[in-house]
Amino acid sequence: MTNQDTNIPGVSKEEFLQSVRESLGRDNTPPAQPYQRLLETTADLESQAAEIRQRVQENLPALLDKLADMAQKGGWNVFRAAGGEEAIGYIETLARNQEAARAVRSGQEVFDQIPVDDALRGLGLTITPIIQNNATPRRALREVIRRADIGITGADYALAETGSIIVLPRRGLSRLVSLVPPVHVALVRPEEVLETLDDLFLLRRLEYHQRGGEMGSYLNFITGPSRTADIEMTIVEGVHGPKEVHMVLLG
Amino acid sequence: MAEIKTKNFSAASAQAMLDPKLRRALDRVASGFDVARQDRIEEVTPEVWEQWRQQARDIKIHTIEHLDYYLDLLHANVTAAGGHLHFAKDADQANEIVAHIVRTRNVKIATKSKSMVSEELDLNPVLEALGVDVYETDLGEYIIQLANETPSHLVAPALHKSKEDVAELFTEKLGIPYDEDIFHMAATARTVLRDKFMEADLGISGANFVVAETGTLVIITNEGNGRLCTSAPRIHIGITGMEKVIPSMQDLSTFLRLLPRSATGQRITSYVSMTTGPRRADDEDGPEEFHLILVDNGRSAMLADPALREALYCIRCGACLNICPVYQRIGGHAYGWVYPGPIGAVITPMLVGLKNAKELPQASSLCGACREVCPIKIDIPRMLLDLRKKTAESPDDSQRSAPESERMVARVYAWVMSRPSLVKFGHQTGRTLQGLLQFSPITPMTKDGRWYRKLPLPIVSKWTRGRDLPALPRKTFHELWEQGIADGPPTDATDSH
Ligand code: SF4
Repeated sequence: MTNQDTNIPGVSKEEFLQSVRESLGRDNTPPAQPYQRLLETTADLESQAAEIRQRVQENLPALLDKLADMAQKGGWNVFRAAGGEEAIGYIETLARNQEAARAVRSGQEVFDQIPVDDALRGLGLTITPIIQNNATPRRALREVIRRADIGITGADYALAETGSIIVLPRRGLSRLVSLVPPVHVALVRPEEVLETLDDLFLLRRLEYHQRGGEMGSYLNFITGPSRTADIEMTIVEGVHGPKEVHMVLLG
Repeated sequence: MAEIKTKNFSAASAQAMLDPKLRRALDRVASGFDVARQDRIEEVTPEVWEQWRQQARDIKIHTIEHLDYYLDLLHANVTAAGGHLHFAKDADQANEIVAHIVRTRNVKIATKSKSMVSEELDLNPVLEALGVDVYETDLGEYIIQLANETPSHLVAPALHKSKEDVAELFTEKLGIPYDEDIFHMAATARTVLRDKFMEADLGISGANFVVAETGTLVIITNEGNGRLCTSAPRIHIGITGMEKVIPSMQDLSTFLRLLPRSATGQRITSYVSMTTGPRRADDEDGPEEFHLILVDNGRSAMLADPALREALYCIRCGACLNICPVYQRIGGHAYGWVYPGPIGAVITPMLVGLKNAKELPQASSLCGACREVCPIKIDIPRMLLDLRKKTAESPDDSQRSAPESERMVARVYAWVMSRPSLVKFGHQTGRTLQGLLQFSPITPMTKDGRWYRKLPLPIVSKWTRGRDLPALPRKTFHELWEQGIADGPPTDATDSH
């Protein structure tokens, strides 16, 4: 902690834990029956991860259908593109219908495969790619995102169980691209699809182990548009986040 | 700490029952959230639902029994991720920690996403006194902040406000023309708050769960304000109760399946956001500092009492409010403090002192619906009885609420309930009599056969003046349970709510 915090209020960890122990009526004793999951080693997690990948591979067509179905139920507009050209065509039509002038997209690998920038520039849009290792100062970047009509991202994972995409913000992937513009488009490739919540969390735990206890600062599930029912239980979409979300599923 | 008005319970609830606007609002919530919740259970099948509930309960039991161990682990992992974990014994300490961060980091503007614990602490006046502009950003919370009120539901804080109320409020506080279109009003909030998010130095959030294994704070939201609060400002403070810790990240699977379905009937919310420490050096954005404040504020008392410990398993889904015949009639404010409904009637007396809230445990017909809907299978009726017993037996006269007759009824009830065979006999006889009663021309039952109004019997007549007595369900939870939910969807169980 920084030295400005040497006198921070509150109680010490030891004092707090001691009072918890007193309430529980016992001394400092770790669980008699240890929690199984916390005992798993990297090797344990690796073998489970291999099973997950194999299961997903074997059921991929069914999982893609399930993902599309659950995503639709969750409020996504789902478009299943046979290839890159169809995907770009869908995004072009969307940009035209929205009369969009500005787009921003994150710097993820999928865009090397699906070059949306040229297509949108061809329509007269200004598109700002957040290139990894670029030098756009953070303030300026935020303004660009704020003024964008469309935010375009890839997905780190897509979850058939819930119809969600999962993004792990990092260099090249701002937390705000999928949140601040009124329209969000997510490109999902089959290799990103997982079946269940357990699959996802197991893979995250494996990465945490492999990277020596580093899991990255943020993880976000996105399922459908931003919404509220806070006034008279009437559902309104697009309250603080996007009003419209599109999942372009390659496959 | 938030102002305690629990002593007004009788008067406040009597008044609330006469408010037709509130009744309409409460009906909307019941028919909205609870119907959707039941649909979701049918969809996954009641058998699977039951497995999830048991898993969640097992995780909570284990964690709370070893809370010291998991808090220690959490501390290690929050710190390893570059965050700061603070411990507060009470509301004052928690508020002082926030005040310290505000002063030393020169915070001018703060945005908040929904946090019931910060309501409990009454944090906003503390921030305002330090000269911080603080904005609630969840639409419902924003509305009640403008109105200078408190939440009336765990999930839908402004449900007591009609659209006309909100339109008038916006006209008065924001100086905009009167417009009661709900979509327009939501758009107004978006515009006003968007600027604040971008200017804010500090984002404050609650937490639905904190993961000991990785030091991760998890929030489950729909509007996107939670994402903005945890992403845009340069400092993020999460504030939550010490009971929110869970051991492994993988435990989240179960809770993410249960919480949205129980709360709003959604399969999953729009967003689940998981923060582990501050932004890393090469992240594009995110806060430079991450603080997590864990609050005791009376929770130790629940932990120390084996009869009430399971109240700490609550995940604040609100399902027990939506189904409760008492909450349905009086709404959230009558409960007089932050946590309303059946679970509030247990938690509030423990957090503000039983002598200040001795009427709350009486605010239940013990119909058992809350226990049946609770995703963690928390036995709220049992705890309410326990609190009644504690009140009735208290040597301190000021803690005693029930007159002798009611104390006796409570004792008899407790005695009977602890003897399952008697309960079974009672239910069977009761249902036979009830069957005759329902078709009698002078029946005190409501048309749907679910409630008794004004019973013409000596002891209970006074009691049913202010409350309806739930009719006996055609099958009790225990019977359904024994019969094995496996032989088909327990349609009777949903009937009996
Ligand atoms: S007691 Fe159970 S039903 Fe009520 S809010 Fe808590 S978790 Fe939900």
